[in-house]
Amino acid sequence: MNYINKLYKSLFVLGVVFCFSSCEKEEIIITANEYHNAIDKLTEVMVHDIFSPPVASRIYNYPNIAAYEIISQGNDNYKTLSKRLHGLEAIPSVDTTKNINLRVAAIVAYLEVGKQLVFSEDKVEVYRDSLYNSWKAINKNSFDNSKKYGLEVAEHVKKWVATDNYAQTRTMPKFSIDTENPSRWQPTPPDYMDGIEPHWREIRPSVIDSSSQFTPSKHPDFSLEKDSPFYKELLETYTVGVTIKEEGETSEKLEIAQFWDCNPYVSTHRGHLMFATKKITPGAHWIGICKIACKKDKLDFENTVYAYTHTSIAIADAFISCWDEKYRSNLIRPETLINQHIDENWEPVLQTPPFPEYTSGHSVVSGAASKVLTQIFGDNFEFNDNTEVKYGLPIRSFVSFDKAAEEAAISRLYGGIHYRAAIDLGLEQGRELGSFVIGKLQIKKN
Amino acid sequence: MLSLFSCDDYQEKGGLFDKVDSRITKVTFQNIVESTEDLNILDYLYFYNGAGVAVGDINNDDLVDVFFTSNLHKNKLYLNKGNFEFEDITSKAGVAGNSDWNTGTTMADVNGDGFLDIYVCAVVGIQGLDGKNELFINNRDGTFTEKASQYGLDFDNYSSAAAFFDYDNDGDLDMYLLNHAIHTQKSFGKANIRNNRNFESGDKLLRNDGEKFVDISEQAGIYGGVNGYGLGVATADFNNDGYTDLYISNDFHEDDYYYLNNGDGTFKEVLKEKFGHTSRFSMGSDVADINHDGFMDIMTLDMIPENEKTLKASVGDETIDMLEMRINRLGYHYQYARNMLQVNQGGDFFSETALLSGVAESDWSWSALFADYDNDGEQDVFISNGIPKRPNDLDYIKYISNDKIKDKLTKTKLVDNEALDIMPSGAVQNYIFQGSKNIRFKNQSAHWLPQDSIISTGSAYADFDNDGDIDLVTNNINTPATFYKNKINQNSNYLKLKFAYKKPNIFGLGTKVISYHQGIPQYKQLYVTKGFQSSSEAMIHFGYGKAETVDSLKIIWPDNTIQIAENIKTNQTLTIKVLHKRATANYTKLFPKQKPWFRRVDSIPGLDYEHKENNYVDFNRQKLIPYKISDRGPATAVGDLNNDGKEDIFFGSSKNEPSQIYFQTSSGFKLQKVEVLEIEKRNEDVDAVIEDFNKDGKKDLLIASSGGEYFGRSKELIDRLYLASDSGLIEAQFPELYEHESVIKPFDVDNDGDLDLFIGGYTVSNNFGAIPNSYILINNQGEFTVKENKELQKIGMVTDAIWTDFDGDRIKDLIVVGEWMRPSFFKNKNGTLFNVTSQISKDTSNNGLWQSIEEFDIDNDGDYDYLLGNFGLNTKFKASVNFPLKMFYSDFDNNQKTETVLAIAKNKKYYTILGLDDLSNQLNFLRKKFTTYASFAGKTVEEVFDKKMLDKAILLEVHQLASGYLKNEQGKFTFIPFEDELQIAPITTMLKNDFNKDGEQEVFMAGNYFGVTPYHGRFDGFVGAIVGKNNMRVFGNRLGVDLSKKAVITANIVNFGDKDYVMVTINNGKVEVYELY
Repeated sequence: MNYINKLYKSLFVLGVVFCFSSCEKEEIIITANEYHNAIDKLTEVMVHDIFSPPVASRIYNYPNIAAYEIISQGNDNYKTLSKRLHGLEAIPSVDTTKNINLRVAAIVAYLEVGKQLVFSEDKVEVYRDSLYNSWKAINKNSFDNSKKYGLEVAEHVKKWVATDNYAQTRTMPKFSIDTENPSRWQPTPPDYMDGIEPHWREIRPSVIDSSSQFTPSKHPDFSLEKDSPFYKELLETYTVGVTIKEEGETSEKLEIAQFWDCNPYVSTHRGHLMFATKKITPGAHWIGICKIACKKDKLDFENTVYAYTHTSIAIADAFISCWDEKYRSNLIRPETLINQHIDENWEPVLQTPPFPEYTSGHSVVSGAASKVLTQIFGDNFEFNDNTEVKYGLPIRSFVSFDKAAEEAAISRLYGGIHYRAAIDLGLEQGRELGSFVIGKLQIKKN
Repeated sequence: MLSLFSCDDYQEKGGLFDKVDSRITKVTFQNIVESTEDLNILDYLYFYNGAGVAVGDINNDDLVDVFFTSNLHKNKLYLNKGNFEFEDITSKAGVAGNSDWNTGTTMADVNGDGFLDIYVCAVVGIQGLDGKNELFINNRDGTFTEKASQYGLDFDNYSSAAAFFDYDNDGDLDMYLLNHAIHTQKSFGKANIRNNRNFESGDKLLRNDGEKFVDISEQAGIYGGVNGYGLGVATADFNNDGYTDLYISNDFHEDDYYYLNNGDGTFKEVLKEKFGHTSRFSMGSDVADINHDGFMDIMTLDMIPENEKTLKASVGDETIDMLEMRINRLGYHYQYARNMLQVNQGGDFFSETALLSGVAESDWSWSALFADYDNDGEQDVFISNGIPKRPNDLDYIKYISNDKIKDKLTKTKLVDNEALDIMPSGAVQNYIFQGSKNIRFKNQSAHWLPQDSIISTGSAYADFDNDGDIDLVTNNINTPATFYKNKINQNSNYLKLKFAYKKPNIFGLGTKVISYHQGIPQYKQLYVTKGFQSSSEAMIHFGYGKAETVDSLKIIWPDNTIQIAENIKTNQTLTIKVLHKRATANYTKLFPKQKPWFRRVDSIPGLDYEHKENNYVDFNRQKLIPYKISDRGPATAVGDLNNDGKEDIFFGSSKNEPSQIYFQTSSGFKLQKVEVLEIEKRNEDVDAVIEDFNKDGKKDLLIASSGGEYFGRSKELIDRLYLASDSGLIEAQFPELYEHESVIKPFDVDNDGDLDLFIGGYTVSNNFGAIPNSYILINNQGEFTVKENKELQKIGMVTDAIWTDFDGDRIKDLIVVGEWMRPSFFKNKNGTLFNVTSQISKDTSNNGLWQSIEEFDIDNDGDYDYLLGNFGLNTKFKASVNFPLKMFYSDFDNNQKTETVLAIAKNKKYYTILGLDDLSNQLNFLRKKFTTYASFAGKTVEEVFDKKMLDKAILLEVHQLASGYLKNEQGKFTFIPFEDELQIAPITTMLKNDFNKDGEQEVFMAGNYFGVTPYHGRFDGFVGAIVGKNNMRVFGNRLGVDLSKKAVITANIVNFGDKDYVMVTINNGKVEVYELY
């Protein structure tokens, strides 16, 4: 009996010693990879829950800002975004007397804010809990403090998020289709879905002054006169589609169109059988390119958070700007017009997404994101884009972010879902917006 | 005796049918359908549609034999040995078939030798499926020889079924070949692509030219386009003109086809004209005269489940925008996903009553078979249903399929069985509905049938054991075929009729029989292809309950000759031989038409008003409200507005259209521009009154402006009073009322010699569920002031009112009716109105969606009863005193705007009407609460919302949806519902007059309403009716009006040229004028 007691005691002592040493001395090591993984996790949940491109851009934006604000607490290189993003107040400052791992706190805040923005919270929770458990095992004290701080910041950011008018836009009127005016947008095959996010312009932007600050110049006037600029653009989209069909599987234009499809919900019907092919959004694709660049340049954790945050702010504002124009011009899609007036059997290479045509969202977003990425990583940054491999698409190589953006933009023409004006002027709109965001923020010192 | 015992042991019992075990039947056949990499639901959209069954006596031994098709394997022929024992004679008979994919089958005597042949359809040409449609000609010795090519019937296309009938009355059987498309179009093409013939998927009409059948589809006017998804074919003489017509069910967005036989070898397709709406995913069908009116009614099946768990996890209805696009831009007809029961209105058109009749929902349904299964003289209907996998499961579509199917599809074009396994199974109980004396059916599935969970597709009926009642057989997917033995036996009486008609149609297909017993007619026509991919026994069966004698049978042969048999004992099988001497059938005598009451006149000259409703979708703004509130115009008022002694007509138009006055001249009506009305054209005018309000001897005009688009203090909502003057109408002072009103009723309340007003408030725009204000306005020399009356002011969502002396004190009182409220009685005491409803109404819970009221002594006892128009019973709304329709009204999402959540009771529990997508479109928080559809489906409204949230909400209720009347018994009122014919749609207007000049007044009623979502469909089936005293009724086509498919707002008497006309105004339609006979 005595012997056993003794054994227990010695075991207990051993245990305490072990814990003591690990709690006090072992640091929770967080690398940029952990941040990449958290971003990927949120992307995965977004794909599952099916968020439209503008909503997805918002879901990328706020968690990154929360994380960024935390790392800026401990690093003079990064200026706080408070007071410089509309309505964002300074986050609670970090208590330096406590053992707080800001990288851990950043990921805690990222996941906490992200969780609130998606539907399937459980999927984020499972991921979060496994991270929490591994960190707790390494250094409970540090983890507890960091988690507490991360959650505090998350609460702060969530309050800010709650004032961006998103909740109000959920309950605003459904988009009313104008069936009288032939130039107005009509729902498109195969699902003929309602126009999505008709009130996205009401969302508070992060940096730009208002949703209409970068209103593009007008698209060619709607006309079905054969020699009108509008009709010529319509015919171009039609002809390119026909050419691609003729070229078949080997068409490079086809590959480009598919590569940049970035449609979160492509619906397929086989009689009563229906299913969705789900992919990432245009914003998510550029977040993916940001990841590639971060990894190629072997950026550390802080720089990685910075790069994602800057990029996602530009993307989110780009969507607000673009959606403002979409529901202002309310322009009909080429598929509708072509089926009505040129060829009733013509189908675009890509499925037409459910919102008005002008300007092209992918063009605006690519313009904005490429500007920011060029600012961070420099011009002529070569990269192999494997973002879409997970979704069954090949790798494409680019010599610069600019070139990638141009290809993303023109892909919409190849895809048969846009006219040229939406691409050219959309790219311009995005680039101007991107430059403005860079100039206004100047968030990284030196 | 012994065998009977063992028989019982093996039977799974139901109340009316027992399932006969295969150990007794010796029928082991099952339609085995298993996915392979080369052939599955991804390759062939109808992979799970199952196969058919044809029954008939192939060896003329008076025992009905059975032939099953197998999709992927060999077909089977079983010879009936008696006592439900069968023998597999397939190989000896040589009918196993050679096609890779078999579908429908029919037994018919194609070569006219008195022996049944077998036709088998095939799907050929997709995924390497080989074969052709086969025709097995009976060699009269138990063997068959395949001779399809000899007869020109060896089609290698995508066939569903074939129906044999004599389309040109030349004495032989022609054939309609029902085919289906196999592709899924990404976009709806225009409807008119059905005009372009396509060999593989287009239907075909084949004329029997003796030795060979000839394709005459095109010249006969039969569609055969790439859009035909033919799943059902029904043959009958729908308009009783002696020629057989066709009803074709098409799946998906293609309309069903209704072909009327022109009698000259051609058909005319007139579905849109004759039907208000049809099933959307139309599958099998059957026809029967369910209401004893001598005209064949039609049932088409769809795939809507009753079960909440399945319903809310499945793809819901399309959006209004999508429906409108299909209708208005692409040229399709209204289609809604549910079973439809189309009640034939004297051969002229059809009214759809499935919701009222209780047969709208029976899950994924294939085959409908009408028959009198319980021998009570009323038609019942059996429905086979089930699907191996539910491909429209929302979780599967949105969340599960992606990972499982995507890669396979894009890369290898193969489907993973694992992916299919995850799709929920749709093996369910078959349905049977018991018919009744009216047009209602009772769901007897749980009582009459043994409980089961199988997938039954093709089905057929026959009297397999020759005991006089009707048995059933179903072809099942992956389980043995089911034989349902009917055990009503001779507890109830019957007649079974077979026919010996002229060669080559010896079985007499197309023969009609009218049976009369105890003054009750029953009407049937002999055709065998019915249900789905199947054919039933070539006999006509009547049930008679306890009646032992049939007074007469009128047999109308296919050549339209007639012979009559009288005083026939029931409970026997008769073979009726065609007599040598026969009279010619006179259809107008056999199915006499009464003289109609009204006759449509093109128009009174110049009276050409057409109301145009502006395209405003209330649901875009208030996404969850139960119906529109902005489509209740036009206002109509008849009266002399220019003091020339002739009645003029005011029409109040919708937003952006000026209201109009048609002035009467001696030669007709003349539309004159009225400046003051042009200015106010943004107003939506819903009611108006022409009366002399300022007692200057000239009639003035008062207009109620309304419309759901305007809200708050929009000036477009202000009512306007125009006083008549020598220089025309001049706008006068009137209290600024911003209410969204429905009705103005003038009356001298204070007995001071001028007209005061009741103005009823309908809703609060943008805040549906709130109670608007209703007012009494007192007239003081043409100036109106509101007289305070708190109880009346908030009485409810008012739709109509009447000044009437309900208490016999010779002073007119006020009754107000409306939606989500009870008829409310206000007693007029010296000019003040007191609510006395609870004292004089015997019904404590009588909230309705009341639409109209009229005083009328319906029971002829000398006092006024009150006729009430309600929403009707032909709706998915359900309401009763114990289980009212509920509407929770609250700001559920805290956005400072209110929402309404509607719930109906099913099995004593309340469920939201809307599904997760619709609800969360407004109430976004539900998306987080329910991340899958399965987690939402089957949840009660209390589970979907917190109890707290519901407790906070204001609850509005409806206890009664039936139209009816308040019976006056010594000043106390009891509600009595009308018969079913008056419950088909909302009754929105009532007009009292002596229409037939018999010195007694009658009430003309009309209605219909379309301002609902595709979930409800369209309430379009009410033709109009006359209600007189002592149960005098005139319904449907006998009236001489067809107001079905039209949303009637008002009916007025207009006097022109010393003659009274009935003028009907219609929302979004042209005014119609009828003269009285």
